[in-house]
Amino acid sequence: MSEAAPDLSQIFRDEAAERLDAMDRALLACESGQPGGEVVEELFRHAHTIKGTAGLVGRDDVSSFAHEVEDVLDGIRQRGEFPREVASLLLDAVSALRALVTGSAAPSAELRRRLGEAAGQVRGAPRGASPAAEQPGGPGGAGAAGGAAAAGAAGGPGAAASRVLRVPAAKIDHLLDVVAEVVQFRHRLAHSAESGIGADSPLADDLRAGERMLDELRDTAVAMRMLPVATITGPLPRAVRDMARQAGKEAELVMAGTGTEMDRVVLESLSEPIAHLLRNAVTHGIETPEERQRAGKPRRGRVELRAAPRGSSAEIVVADDGRGVAPEVIQEAGRSGSLVDLLTRPGYSTAGEVTGASGRGVGLNAVRAQVNALGGSMEIRSWPGRGTEVALLLPLALSLLEVLLFERSGAVYGVPQASVQEVVAIREPMHLQGRPMLAVHGHPVPLADIADLLGVRAPRLQENAPALVIRSGDRRVAVSCDVLAGQQEVAVKPLGRFLGGTTGYLGSAVLGDGRIALLLEPKTLATGIGRAPGPRADAPADLPRAEPPPAAGAEAAAPRERPAILVVEDSFTVRELQRSILESAGYPVATARDGQDALEVLRRDPRVGLVVTDVEMPVLDGLSMLRAIRADPDRASLPVVVVTAHASDEERRQGVEAGADAYLAKGSFDQQALLAIVARLLGR
Amino acid sequence: MSTYVRIRVGAERYAIPVGHVVEVCDLDPAGIVPVPGARPEVLGVRNLRGLVLPVVDLAAVLRVPRAAPPGGLLVAESGGARAGLAIDRVVGVEEMGEPSERCDSPLLAGAILSDGQLTGVIDVPRVFGALEAEGS
Ligand SMILES: Nc1ncnc2c1ncn2[C@@H]1O[C@H](COP(=O)(O)OP(=O)(O)OP(=O)(O)O)[C@@H](O)[C@H]1O
Ligand SMILES: [Mg+2]
Repeated sequence: MSEAAPDLSQIFRDEAAERLDAMDRALLACESGQPGGEVVEELFRHAHTIKGTAGLVGRDDVSSFAHEVEDVLDGIRQRGEFPREVASLLLDAVSALRALVTGSAAPSAELRRRLGEAAGQVRGAPRGASPAAEQPGGPGGAGAAGGAAAAGAAGGPGAAASRVLRVPAAKIDHLLDVVAEVVQFRHRLAHSAESGIGADSPLADDLRAGERMLDELRDTAVAMRMLPVATITGPLPRAVRDMARQAGKEAELVMAGTGTEMDRVVLESLSEPIAHLLRNAVTHGIETPEERQRAGKPRRGRVELRAAPRGSSAEIVVADDGRGVAPEVIQEAGRSGSLVDLLTRPGYSTAGEVTGASGRGVGLNAVRAQVNALGGSMEIRSWPGRGTEVALLLPLALSLLEVLLFERSGAVYGVPQASVQEVVAIREPMHLQGRPMLAVHGHPVPLADIADLLGVRAPRLQENAPALVIRSGDRRVAVSCDVLAGQQEVAVKPLGRFLGGTTGYLGSAVLGDGRIALLLEPKTLATGIGRAPGPRADAPADLPRAEPPPAAGAEAAAPRERPAILVVEDSFTVRELQRSILESAGYPVATARDGQDALEVLRRDPRVGLVVTDVEMPVLDGLSMLRAIRADPDRASLPVVVVTAHASDEERRQGVEAGADAYLAKGSFDQQALLAIVARLLGR
Repeated sequence: MSTYVRIRVGAERYAIPVGHVVEVCDLDPAGIVPVPGARPEVLGVRNLRGLVLPVVDLAAVLRVPRAAPPGGLLVAESGGARAGLAIDRVVGVEEMGEPSERCDSPLLAGAILSDGQLTGVIDVPRVFGALEAEGS
């Protein structure tokens, strides 16, 4: 819905934020006394462009305030001199402009008054043969018009650099989803084709070529998640300067390597830790100008932020040339472990009093927790009297993995979605040398209970228990479990050093509800089944048997009588899951990948007697589709089950208003509940 | 004098230098997920505010016989790694002298004998090292 029109005002806000950051940087340079003519030009251009664009998107408030800022800059430009106190006034104005753009506050009357005064001042005192002489023109008038031409020619920030397209993160995520789905789809295609064609037929060649291209496509898509560190460092130089000022200090931030690219998700969660390290550098590290002078250091402290790639990790270092930690602290650290261990201890602080900036001693602890949660590590080095350096080593990309979750005897396990070929309900297993086998698309596949594979005790499986057909290399296995728990993208966390010797795990993941899922390696499952101990003596009884006669009888008669169910879901795996559950219960199933697609199917296929739908889908979402169904006189009473990721009260209310007959939570997705609801709605 | 967290493991008394202690909480056995195939001292992993924390039975590591299941969890840290140590309970935090009594265990920094009671001082880096070494 909100996707329909490109959101102009959002684009404006993003672009203005970038320009305001650039203005901050330029003004900081002016404040430290090196304003070249081109710096003033740049500042003017930014103010001018913000003014123009704000007008275009109807933000006249921003436009008129930007004009006041521009006015001052225009004066400076013509006068050829940049008084220092004006730089700091303009820094305040940039902050006010930023607040105005985001809508959090309007500029104060006092600030506007001072800007007006400054404009008058810089204009009022032209010095000798200033550039103004060549371009007379009344206050604002011709000067501003000339500026407009200059700004038009200059283009946006970084116009000289490579062209950049602004794409909402959600679109890239969607692209990745679709690519993952296509890769899966190809696996299935290859599988069904395998039996029909020889390995060296031209068709097989084509399939392989397609696979290579698909891999490339996926790599490219994944790389789109990478962003330079510079994306989060824009406001930092300004922040450091302001923090120092507040503490009666002087400090400048020097950055290096901000072109280093990292996963967007990692970067986003780094903003806060980096801000904290900078705050520590300023409050604990950098001394007052007097103190620094006495120690023979330059009055202005230097804080560094360096980023650099290190193999599959990136290193981010925050360093200061301040006082470092006390020698006693270094000694104490030597006794109790390392300096990181000591300084990150909760409650550890050397700050005498708690201020807004520091003193509670929880900061570094939180930084470390965050870094650990991302799978990174942290180190601190400090030289008394000379400074401190905090180094973060972080994975370049968060290892996000799309997994299929399932449960057995209360524990949750996950396998990579890409390794799961399909999900079947176990019916009539066959045996070979006493080992159970399952027929999957006409081929036998060894079957094993996940509990047996892992060697854990578990109550016997229910009849019709689901099995995941997992593929690794050219081996396939069917792994049975109690219940499927859905599909999810998880951050893979290593099991850690103390479980280093344990094989068979890709790692673990913390799920939304706080439970931990163990992520299993498909390869170990596939090969493990070969060496799994023969079935226990009672195994045949353990396995689900063929359906008892009445059920079988019902089944034989059912397909023609039972109405078809339409499964609407954009995720391939969830869709296939639901399809297999419903099909194994004897319902014919049709599928659609979004609401639009579903309405098409409904128009074509009169057999559909019930719809199971997801909520959030591209093109047409579930609730809009539901409204369309209710509005169609022929279909108005069609039962619709809504499967939702998070059934908040608000969502339920919307769903009920749209005409949903039942709700099912995706998180706790379980097949018994789905079948019960379907049976109830179909009146059986 | 140094500060120690004093704990009970089975019927025995131990102390851990406070610098290695991150926090102490209830064991919450239901929250521990066993990891099939792991070494026997490892009870499993649990979620500690988003962190996957390995939980180790300290009694099994120290080979202390245990009559009742452990009730407390002490999160220890060394060299950037963390582990939850399952213990019987925390006795308190106390200033004590240096571990002057020598003992043969490679997992202890020594022992303290006072008021007729023997307290072993745990060498956390060594305990962590031992858990790692045999694991792989
Ligand atoms: N750059 C630094 N230079 C010198 N000492 C530092 C530096 N960074 C941290 N420290 C030391 O580490 C201690 C712990 O830092 P931490 O950020 O955890 O707590 P804090 O800053 O005192 O309080 P808060 O929880 O409010 O941030 C500080 O009190 C200080 O002694
Ligand atoms: Mg701090």
